Formats: sequence, structure tokens, C-alpha cells
Amino acid sequence: MEVNEINIAIPHYRRKWQSFMEINGITEFSPNEVDTIEKTFLWDEDGDRAATGSIAGNVIKYVAVCSKYKEGGALFNKVVSYLMQQAAQMGRFHLFVFTKPKYVQSFEYVGFKKLAVSETGAILETGVPGVTEYIEKLPHFEGKNGAIVMNANPFTLGHRRLVEVASAKNDHVYVFVVKNDVSLFTYEERIELVKQGVQDLKNVTVVSGDDYIISPATFPAYFLKSDQEIGTYQARLDAILFKDQIAKPLGITTRYLGKEPYSKTTDSYNHELLGILPPEVNVEIIDRKTADDKIISATKVRQAILDDDQALLHEFLPETTMEFVKNNYPNLKEKLIEKGSK
Amino acid sequence: MGIKETALAGTLESSDIQITLSEGSGIDIDLDSSVEALYGDQIKKVITDTLNKYGITDAKVKAVDKGALDCVVKARTMAVAQRALGTTEEPNWEVL
Repeated sequence: MEVNEINIAIPHYRRKWQSFMEINGITEFSPNEVDTIEKTFLWDEDGDRAATGSIAGNVIKYVAVCSKYKEGGALFNKVVSYLMQQAAQMGRFHLFVFTKPKYVQSFEYVGFKKLAVSETGAILETGVPGVTEYIEKLPHFEGKNGAIVMNANPFTLGHRRLVEVASAKNDHVYVFVVKNDVSLFTYEERIELVKQGVQDLKNVTVVSGDDYIISPATFPAYFLKSDQEIGTYQARLDAILFKDQIAKPLGITTRYLGKEPYSKTTDSYNHELLGILPPEVNVEIIDRKTADDKIISATKVRQAILDDDQALLHEFLPETTMEFVKNNYPNLKEKLIEKGSK
Repeated sequence: MGIKETALAGTLESSDIQITLSEGSGIDIDLDSSVEALYGDQIKKVITDTLNKYGITDAKVKAVDKGALDCVVKARTMAVAQRALGTTEEPNWEVL
């Protein structure tokens, strides 16, 4: 058995790799799944493809073992440990895997711990620092705790209103800011603006969602069949992970959501949360704040930056965010135009 | 003494053990082994003794054992200790 790193950007290897995956039941190769791959390895036995696996950031994905070698799992263990060694050499010791529920046991056998399992998918992690270390590092509070998850791209008066409502109804409120950087405002900018925007609310703590509040944009779903609803799969796993790994150890009893009149995705996401979080965690959906009958949303703010609509920005943004937008105006606009042309 | 950087050594194949060292206080071993009930204490002892020979007294250890013999546990611990201390170019022969 021989292992080689292959470059799937080269058509010859791409075909060899993809057809092997297809034989083994993985048929989803959309660019947002494949383009994140940094390294791919292929195991050969006398010229026959035996197994493959890839590394994308801190995620192990596209793992497949030929059915001939499946028995006993020896080759699977070899593949996973090789991928872990390669990741370690890249300085990555904390890895995730998103897979089918039936493979949970195989990954547990090689030291992975499950974070969330639904009927369609599962998330597992291995290495340090894991979810236990993440929770340990957060401040813990007695009493009635609430939570809000936001991307805050950027922080608006709408977000502010949501935090105010939660702050008034709870002894303590955690605001989790999504860490994945796929937004106009960087993670550092977003979390800083949230902190500035809620500074006067003494019972509010702003924390990073780290790798555990997962943005749909980076949520691998390549192993699903195309007839399975990807959005539902993501929302369910995210909800289960939040409920079991975050809300439970922190004593969070209510999660607050903004009502979503525009985006169908967010609306169905909220719907899934309602189905999974209660009774342990209550879900309260708060009506969006309006300014002059217009519903405040970060999407409109980004559009207003592009359109130079100062009046709308003043209406929608707290002073702290407004200040930042003013100071970085040319830069933000340029980023927006770049994104639009892609 | 603590370690310099997180490190990993060993594999998950049969008769091997995969060990990850990261920062921690005291030697804190999280062992995952199918023979833990029988040999868990022995495996932990070999890991702790070997780390101590390198002067490491503060580290979080994650070990996934697949039925490794003591000599393998020791070898993998030595490798991970040297990697974690950044001394792979100057092996400490006295530990042997």
C-alpha cells in the first residue's frame, strides 16, 4: 500500500479522485465544497485506488475507503491517522469531521468525540482545544441566562434592540458572535462593534462563537444525497450542538431570535431551532425594530454603503458602528464592489 | 516544566498509540483504549515516567491506544516529547 499526495486541480488526478468517490457513494462536488480542499491523499494497492482523504482548514473531508478494504477498518484507521499527522505538520491539532450518522462509530474508534448527531448528519471533533476547553474559558453565571447568536455584519440598531430585550428579561445574556470570516466586516471588526454597541448593558457578555457556532457557509454537506434538504441538515445539527454542548453547560435557558421577514433561509432556520431547542431551551422570536416603517437589517446597511445612502445609515446604525463605517468608508465600498463583480 | 508547542506522534493503527501533547498544568492524561480496564494504569505510568525524564511536568496528554506494547508507548511518548520541546535535532539518548 502506497500513499501519495495528489493535486486535484490537475484534471487527470481530479478525474481519478472524483470517480473513486463516486464509486463509493459520494456524488456532490460543488465548488464551495471542493475549493476549500488544501491537501488530498490517495492510497494505492498495485495501481488500484484503495482509499482517499482530504484536509480543508481544520476539517477532514472526502474520506472514502474501497469496499474491498472496509472489513476490520484497518485502512480507515490508517487514513485518518495519516490525515491527522499531515494536519499536525500544518500546525493543526484540533480537527472536525462532518459525516453520515452511520460512520460516527468509526470515527469514535479513532478518538473523535461526537458533538451533535441528527438523523441525516453528524459533527465530531478531535484534539485540543476542544469544546470542553472552550466552555471552561467562558465566564459562568448563576441565575437566568439568555443567549443570542449573531453574525452582526455590521452591528445595527436592530441587533441592539434584540440584546436590550434579552438583557431586560434575564439575569445574564451571552452574545455569541459567529467567527467564520465570510462577511464584509472581518470577525475582529464585527465583535469589536458588538462590544462597543452593548457596553452600557452591564449584564451582557460578548463572546466568540469560535468553531462551535457554525456559519452555514462553511458547513460541509458533500455527503448528503441531493434530495436531502441541506439547509435543514445544517440547522438541525447547529441547533443540537448549541443545545447540548453550549446551552447545557452554561445554564442558558432562553435563546432570542430576530423575526425574519425577508430571508426564507433564516426563517426556516428559526423554524428548526423551535423544533429542537425546547423544552430545555426556550426560544423567543422578537419582532424586528423598525425605523420609519422600514425594518432594520444588516443587508440593507451594506446596500446603503454601496449606494452612499447616508440617511439610511444614520437611521439604522448606532453611533459606534456609524463612526467605524465613516472612518473606513472607501475601503468598505471597495470590498463591496469587488464582491459584487465576482 | 511545560512544553513549547502542541505536538503529535504515533498512528491509530493496530498495536500503535497516537499521543498529542498540549499545554496544561500537571500531567493530565485523557486515555482512550479498548484495554483500559486491564492496562490503563500501566500505559499512563509509562507516559508519565517518560515525560518526567524529559523534565516535562505540565502538559495535557491525549492518548488514543490501539493495543500498543510498553516499548511502543515509550517510543511514541519520546517522539512527541521531543517534538513538543522543539528538540528533535538533539535526541536525549539518556532517556533510553
